[in-house]
Amino acid sequence: MPQAKLLASKVSKRFGARLVLDRIDLSVADGQFTSFVGPSGCGKTTFLRIIGGLEHASDGEIRIDGQVVDRPSSDRGFVFQTDNLLPWRTVLANARLGPELSRTTSSDERERTLRLLKLVGLAGFESHYPAQLSGGMRQRVNLARALAIDPKLLLMDEPFSALDAQTREIMQTELLRIWEQGRKTVLFVTHQIDEAIFLADQVVVFTRNPGRIKEIINIELPRPRALAVKRTPTFARYVDHIWSLIEHDVRETALTT
Amino acid sequence: MSALITSRRLIQLLSIAGGLLLWEGFSRFVVANGLFLAPPSQVLREIVRLAISGRLGHDLAVSALEFAVGFGIASVLGIVLGFLMASNEAAKEASEPWVQAFNATPTVALAPLFILWAGVGIWSKVMMVVIVVIFTISINTEAGVRQTSPRLIETFRSFGATRAQIFLKLSLPSALPMILAGLKLGTARGLIGVVVAELFGARAGLGNLISESAANFDMAGLFSGVLVLAATGIMLTAVLRWLELRLVPWQGD
Repeated sequence: MPQAKLLASKVSKRFGARLVLDRIDLSVADGQFTSFVGPSGCGKTTFLRIIGGLEHASDGEIRIDGQVVDRPSSDRGFVFQTDNLLPWRTVLANARLGPELSRTTSSDERERTLRLLKLVGLAGFESHYPAQLSGGMRQRVNLARALAIDPKLLLMDEPFSALDAQTREIMQTELLRIWEQGRKTVLFVTHQIDEAIFLADQVVVFTRNPGRIKEIINIELPRPRALAVKRTPTFARYVDHIWSLIEHDVRETALTT
Repeated sequence: MSALITSRRLIQLLSIAGGLLLWEGFSRFVVANGLFLAPPSQVLREIVRLAISGRLGHDLAVSALEFAVGFGIASVLGIVLGFLMASNEAAKEASEPWVQAFNATPTVALAPLFILWAGVGIWSKVMMVVIVVIFTISINTEAGVRQTSPRLIETFRSFGATRAQIFLKLSLPSALPMILAGLKLGTARGLIGVVVAELFGARAGLGNLISESAANFDMAGLFSGVLVLAATGIMLTAVLRWLELRLVPWQGD
């Protein structure tokens, strides 16, 4: 078996007395698309943030290509839930933020970023300001910005949750189309079961109190995938299975919050 | 759209013309006493006369210089102070009570003191402008820096940004709209400062024109000074508005 791209061993996180993550072990192969799914408060986002270096683990370690990581760096691109674009910068200047901050801008890099903007479907919008774009387009810029640093790992934290249902489905197919071009290693946090299955090679199901991995499910749906796959019996079986794993937690959350 | 703008402009022009007409009629037929009120037609004639004689130009130049020097000093110091207060807790705590106190006090009351210290020349007016403007600008600057979005700070962190990069590329541009708003507020206060200080004692300047005219019961002269001041205020605000559109185009739209 080839060396894992990402290896998490016994990662725990405490906020005060509360144990949010309890000894998480996870291995992700190069080029694999992994979704994290689970009820609110299961620590899936916290785990992603630890991998991104935005938070420190209380215990355990994260290795990328065998190297321990404990702070943000340009080998990981983070796509946030909200688009977090700079309102005073054009689309292109926003997308080039990463290279600018790591002082690696160049005319080659500019060409590459322009190609990325084209790849995410923003050709012709390079000199627009974020306020002139729709929510879906802003998330495309957000994605291009994360890809512009050519990261080893793409970390996505519920990137489509602020979009309406139709735009979200379009963005899911768009993300797969873009991913097929480069096959980056992607970690994708979502609370939507169907989104998790549709996108991923493996779905990691979290449960809460404390956050633990309940099960890792390999998704054996052929690629490239179209939205129609969501209406196949195999897909429905995956949904039923994952729902049965987290149903108890979700009901509890729904009743207490 | 353009029809709408035209009709708005029309209403504004009609309102101004109507106001002037009311003023003219009121001063001619109701007050009918040149010692208390001069009609706008007479004021305009007086403005032309003062302009031709060179008096108006000289007064305007002196007041403008006092304002410009004071406002320039206040802007630089105010912005620096605002950034200090936003980035350093000790500086914030140490300066907070003074800034708040000075900002809340009608510091124009200090005009006689400045004239005592610096004489009737321009420097007493410069001091006045600095003291009435600086805290408004520093308070706005501090608020602007503080309202930098934590989500954007986190985004910068995720790209491995240094503290200096976060300051220069994020906090500074984030604060720009608030800084400009502070400058706009400061303009009005600064003009008041110049005029009040000149009223208390000056050899030239628009405040001096006003106080001399008042002493001579020259209503046309008095209103000339006031009208020129009003025009100056409107013009300065327009300049800052233009600057705002140039510097923070993302705010409009």
